[in-house]
Amino acid sequence: MTSLLSKRLVSVLGVCFLLFFVATANAKQALKAVATVDENSAQWQQTLKAATGQSVYLYAWGGSKAVNEYLRWATREIAQQYRIKLIHVKVTDPSEPVSRLKAENGRTSAIDLMWVNGENFAYLKQQGFLLGNLWSDIPNAVFLAVDNLPITVDFGEPMHGFEVPWGIGQFNLIAEDGVYQQPQVNAKSLLEIAKNNPTTVTYPRPPEFHGTTFLKQFLVDLTDADPRLYQSATTQAQEELLPVLWQYLDQLHPYLWQQGKAFPSSAAEQLLLYQQKTLSMAVSFNPNQWLKEKSTQQISESSVRRYFTDGAITNSHNLAIPKSAPSPEAAKVVINFMLSEKAQKEKFTGVWGDPSVITSLFDEKATMPAHPELHSSWHVVIEDAWQQRYGG
Amino acid sequence: MAATIRRIGLASGWLLVSLISLLPILGIVVGLWPPEQITFADIRPFLAYQGLSTSVFMTLFSAIFSTLISLYIAFMVYSQYHLSRRLQSFEKYLAPLLSLPHLAVALGLVFLFSNGSLFFVDSGLPRKGLSTLIIAIVIKEVPFFLLIFSAIGRQLPIKYWLLQGKALGYQDYRCWWFLVFPPLLKQSRLALLAATAYTLSVVDISFLVGPNIPELFAVSMYRWQTSFGIGDQALAFWANVLLLGLLVLSIVALYAHEKLLFIACKNWAVLGSTIRLGIINRLFVAWLPMTGVLTLLMVMVFALWSFGANWQTDGNLLASLHTRLWQDEWLFFSLPLQNSVLIGLVAGLLGVACALLALELQRRRGVYLPDYYWLLAILLPQLSMVLGWQVSHIWLEGSYHSAWIILSHLPFTFAYAYLVLKGPFQSIEPRYELLAASFGYSYWQCWYKVRFRLLLPAVLSAFAISFSVSVAQYIPTLMIGAGRVTTITTEAVAIGTGSQQDVMALYILLQSVLPFVAFLMAALLAQRFRGSVDVKAH
Amino acid sequence: MLKLIDCQIDATGWEIKIPDIQLGKGELLVITGPSGIGKSTLLHWLLGNIPRHVNISGKILIDDIDVSQQAIERRHIGLLMQDVYLFPHLSVQDNICFALPKDTHFSSKKQRRIEAMRMLEQINLAHLGERYPQNLSGGERSRVGLVRALANKPKVMLLDEPFAALDPTNREQVGRWAFQQLAQQHIPSIMVTHDKNDIPESAKQLNLADFFHQKDQHQISLDRNNP
Repeated sequence: MTSLLSKRLVSVLGVCFLLFFVATANAKQALKAVATVDENSAQWQQTLKAATGQSVYLYAWGGSKAVNEYLRWATREIAQQYRIKLIHVKVTDPSEPVSRLKAENGRTSAIDLMWVNGENFAYLKQQGFLLGNLWSDIPNAVFLAVDNLPITVDFGEPMHGFEVPWGIGQFNLIAEDGVYQQPQVNAKSLLEIAKNNPTTVTYPRPPEFHGTTFLKQFLVDLTDADPRLYQSATTQAQEELLPVLWQYLDQLHPYLWQQGKAFPSSAAEQLLLYQQKTLSMAVSFNPNQWLKEKSTQQISESSVRRYFTDGAITNSHNLAIPKSAPSPEAAKVVINFMLSEKAQKEKFTGVWGDPSVITSLFDEKATMPAHPELHSSWHVVIEDAWQQRYGG
Repeated sequence: MAATIRRIGLASGWLLVSLISLLPILGIVVGLWPPEQITFADIRPFLAYQGLSTSVFMTLFSAIFSTLISLYIAFMVYSQYHLSRRLQSFEKYLAPLLSLPHLAVALGLVFLFSNGSLFFVDSGLPRKGLSTLIIAIVIKEVPFFLLIFSAIGRQLPIKYWLLQGKALGYQDYRCWWFLVFPPLLKQSRLALLAATAYTLSVVDISFLVGPNIPELFAVSMYRWQTSFGIGDQALAFWANVLLLGLLVLSIVALYAHEKLLFIACKNWAVLGSTIRLGIINRLFVAWLPMTGVLTLLMVMVFALWSFGANWQTDGNLLASLHTRLWQDEWLFFSLPLQNSVLIGLVAGLLGVACALLALELQRRRGVYLPDYYWLLAILLPQLSMVLGWQVSHIWLEGSYHSAWIILSHLPFTFAYAYLVLKGPFQSIEPRYELLAASFGYSYWQCWYKVRFRLLLPAVLSAFAISFSVSVAQYIPTLMIGAGRVTTITTEAVAIGTGSQQDVMALYILLQSVLPFVAFLMAALLAQRFRGSVDVKAH
Repeated sequence: MLKLIDCQIDATGWEIKIPDIQLGKGELLVITGPSGIGKSTLLHWLLGNIPRHVNISGKILIDDIDVSQQAIERRHIGLLMQDVYLFPHLSVQDNICFALPKDTHFSSKKQRRIEAMRMLEQINLAHLGERYPQNLSGGERSRVGLVRALANKPKVMLLDEPFAALDPTNREQVGRWAFQQLAQQHIPSIMVTHDKNDIPESAKQLNLADFFHQKDQHQISLDRNNP
């Protein structure tokens, strides 16, 4: 009798063990969704060796002092740690490296590493200008917080290893506390605020991407996050969903800065206007910009951060390597460093404040509730239609 | 033997000069070569672009209007300063006015005068509008024309025309308008054209202070050219074509203006007209001091910004100043500054030398090629042209050495030097060289000792302008240098797209230092070398 | 009629006390003297072009009206210089039209042009009417210059070495013709010249050297000994 019981117990226990074993094994696999090379593997060691003494030309926007300082820090660290010379080529327009790659047309490029996202990435990927398998070739890619953040897809275009996320962007408003008293805003509340504080509200002129994103937030709010916005924009969907936005804007524009007859040309210009107290709000993709600007006394003490009720539209900004880069190994080592905990921490806590993309530093509390990006086709549709309606 | 050497010398001279002047054509042909199939069907979406006609009209209007206004203002100022003993060489006062980059003037202007400004009463100047754009451009263009007039005026017997005119009973200001303006205008053609072409295609100022509903044409064109969405490249192609068309229209407009003015002045002269039109000349004595004060204000504002002046803190403004930024950034701007100086010096010198060569070769031939040919670098759309150079440079597998950058600046320095030097060069009395030859000097000795020496003040101005043009070049340095060679301008433009006032101000000031030194030195040196008519005849 | 009273040229170290001058209608005064003494400067001062390096004082009376303080454009004094300075952007005809007095009875362009051509015809230069100054010979230029100056109907005419650029035959011809014109139109004139052959018989002469004397000669010789 006991032997039968114990036999059953053992089998039950055994099954439990098996299940547990399988479960943990599967769990490990779920955590290791990013299959990548190990740091100590021969392949990576070889890359490290080839990279020593090389220079890496990083083409990244040079307009932000915070980013420039961060990159200067990174240059020092990388030089010390890997004996690689990182050179920051200050770019004015994100399309500059793209046109250069296009002009080079496959020849050895001047670019080793570039900061890229959105439609530029889509173009480069489709034209085959980018080096692939980045995720699987770079060890620290294993720490990418793919479970918590929507960072495998860039603007509707799957990354497929052609670029690596570097930081997160979440659309938010930097605003005067006295005027924007609620922690969240929506289309209705903004219209009220604009009416009560005329000529202090505005947005960057589309197709500047902050401006377009602002419009997207409105669209999401006014159509109650209609599911068609996350799919390819059909003519019918456009006809049904866009007029709501135009009706709203027609109401809003007369209360805007310059009565909607002129708009700031860029988010940076709008921030300047906000600093000069002409406007009561500015826009940003960096969730921590308001804190950093405040701490360096660039903006007033009473500035706060506001986001849309539906959640802040979130995307990632990324690093990519051209296929014809002269020092791809060194570029990979640089990316590896950029994904390391040290670098991501410095990026987040230092002057820049750009949120991290790796799991260990992922902080739910620091980020705002996220809202996924609309399908990329809507981006173009909104820009063209706005130009048609308000741009001339 | 000597004849063969001379022939070879001449031929190689022509070769060199042709190469430089053909570079722009090469650039535009390669740059505009449609990569994908561009059909005439693509014109339709281009023409259907919302606001295109308003945009084009505004662009054309602002270009021609600002150029003409600057011309008239500059002339009136010139009439007040030309014979004034104290300010005879007023060029040195032009130096600060000429050195602030265009964008800085626009930025300073909106900061000081538009709504929300912290110092001054809101003067109604819109933050983004056509009037702001025109004012910003006029402020920069007037000193440029003054410099040109100064160079031309040295070779003209203006003093005696005025004397004769007055002896015939005409008042001072009438003499200026009827007698001096027409010849001066004729010789300023190139400068007018260059100014108009610049305003037609300037992107950064249009972006910052120009209207944006609709945007100026240059901005839309820049957007299309730098976007890689479907169909955008086709739009960019047609936009370039349209820009060339606008350029032709501008040339026609300026030519018509010149003709009309000649007819008007002639009629007034023939009629012995007592028209009181030019009486406001006198008011313009104030122009230089006014713009001087304005520039000083702007420089002060930028300096304050760079020292960390912060209007957020309600405390004492002066107490919050510090030199930390300058100390921190010193490490980072010393190299770009050096690059700018080196490239500017070489490109400037070569540009002036080639311009003199081109003028001399044409003089020997007796035939002067049309001006537009020599100025192509300034007239053709810069972005497409440099793109063509970039493609050729990559195809030739050129390195990223400064030498290539100097080569890419050369067409521009050459064009500006040519336009400054042409008028004075042609006005030099050939008899001086004849005399020198009769004393036994060889051709080139005469040329150097007489013609060059007479031209020296103009040459110095031309060099200062060429140097500044090279320092201010952004697109060629970036596209050919692939970011390897940083100049103070590439850094400044990149920083300028941000929102950090203090760093922006610092780089603006740095950008201004180099041209300032160049213009000041040119003015001081020119004072020591007189032109042919400056000397009192008796 | 021109009267010059109490005229004096003052410079550092020397001065010229010019005797009072009275010129009637059509009379010619020729001022001579070594070069550099200030002949042209004096002429320009008379015109109203105040010199800077010397101080000239005196009273100028034209038809008994004091014009010493008036601006150049109001004095009705004509000037003909060696280099003539015809305006390059105007044709010969237009250069003359420009000089025609404003307050005359030819007010329309056409009338003025006709008048200009008439003046050119009188001296057989009508064929030059449409030409531009660059395409004229030296002699033609001088003649046109004089016609232009005369067209303005000045009260006094100043000539600053006007024929110096011409060859001897031309010089004689043009000179004779010029003085004839001036006498005919009863205009008192003052001429500065180096060449004795230019001076017609009937002209009064004034040699500035005769009235030149050094100031403080004693002072100057002392300075020479103590550099």
